[in-house]
Amino acid sequence: MEGRPLDDTALVERARNGDVNAYEALVQQYQELAFRVAYQVTGDAADAEDAAQEAFVNAYYALGRFRAGAPFRPWLLRIVANEARNRRTSAHRRIALAERALAAQSSGEAAPSPEKAAEADEFRATLMDAMRRLRDDDRLVLAYRLFFDLSEAEMAIALNIPRGTVKSRLSRALARLRGVLPDDFRVPSSTGVSDG
Amino acid sequence: MADPRRLSDLDLERALTALGPRYPYPPTPNLAMAVTRRIAPRQAAPAPRLVLWRDSRRLALAAALLLILLGAAALANPVTRDAIAHFFHVQGVIVNRVPSPNPSLSAPTTLNLGRLTTLAEAQREVSFTIAVPAQLGPPDAVYVASGPPGGEVALAYAPSPGIPLVGQTGLGVLITEFRGDLIPGFITKEIGPGTTLEEVSVNGDPGWWIAGAPHSIVVHVSPNADNFETLRLAANTLVWAHGGVTYRIESGLSKAGAMRIAGSLL
Repeated sequence: MEGRPLDDTALVERARNGDVNAYEALVQQYQELAFRVAYQVTGDAADAEDAAQEAFVNAYYALGRFRAGAPFRPWLLRIVANEARNRRTSAHRRIALAERALAAQSSGEAAPSPEKAAEADEFRATLMDAMRRLRDDDRLVLAYRLFFDLSEAEMAIALNIPRGTVKSRLSRALARLRGVLPDDFRVPSSTGVSDG
Repeated sequence: MADPRRLSDLDLERALTALGPRYPYPPTPNLAMAVTRRIAPRQAAPAPRLVLWRDSRRLALAAALLLILLGAAALANPVTRDAIAHFFHVQGVIVNRVPSPNPSLSAPTTLNLGRLTTLAEAQREVSFTIAVPAQLGPPDAVYVASGPPGGEVALAYAPSPGIPLVGQTGLGVLITEFRGDLIPGFITKEIGPGTTLEEVSVNGDPGWWIAGAPHSIVVHVSPNADNFETLRLAANTLVWAHGGVTYRIESGLSKAGAMRIAGSLL
């Protein structure tokens, strides 16, 4: 768009022609997203960093095969997710993560009241825990759509699935998430979770 | 129809959407630095290239010069060009034909050509007479570098009708000149299947025409095998030496076009 110094397409094109600065700009732009997506898969910061870094390097070398004008972000994320899967270590690490996440969350932001804060913390912790218990594919579908706000078209590329199947994947993943949540799981009344 | 006690899809979506920004991710590491470090040294060198670019040209020129000087005897034999190029090793210079250079290899678009100056000032700083191609006229920019023994000058020409833009340099034509006879080197030039290497005669002096796919230049700066750097890729290049000065013309032009410019160097 106008006003933006250089969009992805221009940066990718430059990077394809060997402009490392252009590629560095792309890395800067997407490193947080790449790291977080990798973290969703690995559940471990070091593994996620490793995966994201490897993905960026591999993506650079694969730019020659990248279709000009295609969206860069989901293409990158596909590589990130693959790298992350390759690095994902044992399940206990993921559990450790959930515990750490919970701890981090509890010490987080200011809350309206101790009770409500505790309720919100518990809600988030339960939700995160349920997410972590999903298969990678399901978790990624949900994370792409609801955490990272990817469009369906982007999700199809990132997940390497036909676009027409994105909706049903999303719905299946939600169903599985519901399946791993406790029966009495409820959205708390005032946690910032609802729109109101 | 659903159990009213259970959350709807919409509830879950909202809950996850709200969780997203609060998800306790670890701090994002700075990947850009690590990534560019990994892609740069073997490829087009971002940070290092600013420092090394000048050296790369210098050493590339030295490589080419040595190829000319040392390879002349080998080339006198009626062997095919590719047989020579496949593995050519004479006194510290190797021209290696590699099966598949990386497709994304290319050159930096930021060139450190030295200090921007004028032709007259540059002339005062180098130990040889700067040659300007009559065909192109005065350069659009003149750079001088005092690092290499004898100094080095770069004449830059912007793209113009008949002079295509070169992706590797961002210029139309780039001419570099330096005292090749003063600079030792230990160099490998890597030339992929898409690059041709051809012996040519430039104004009666032997030279090389390297064309097609961009080629990379690896400089072994020390005997330590780990201590090498791939400096950058170069576009079509005509390189030759005359009277101790090595000339190099990098452009998107054909061999004939580059030869015409070389022939007009005064």
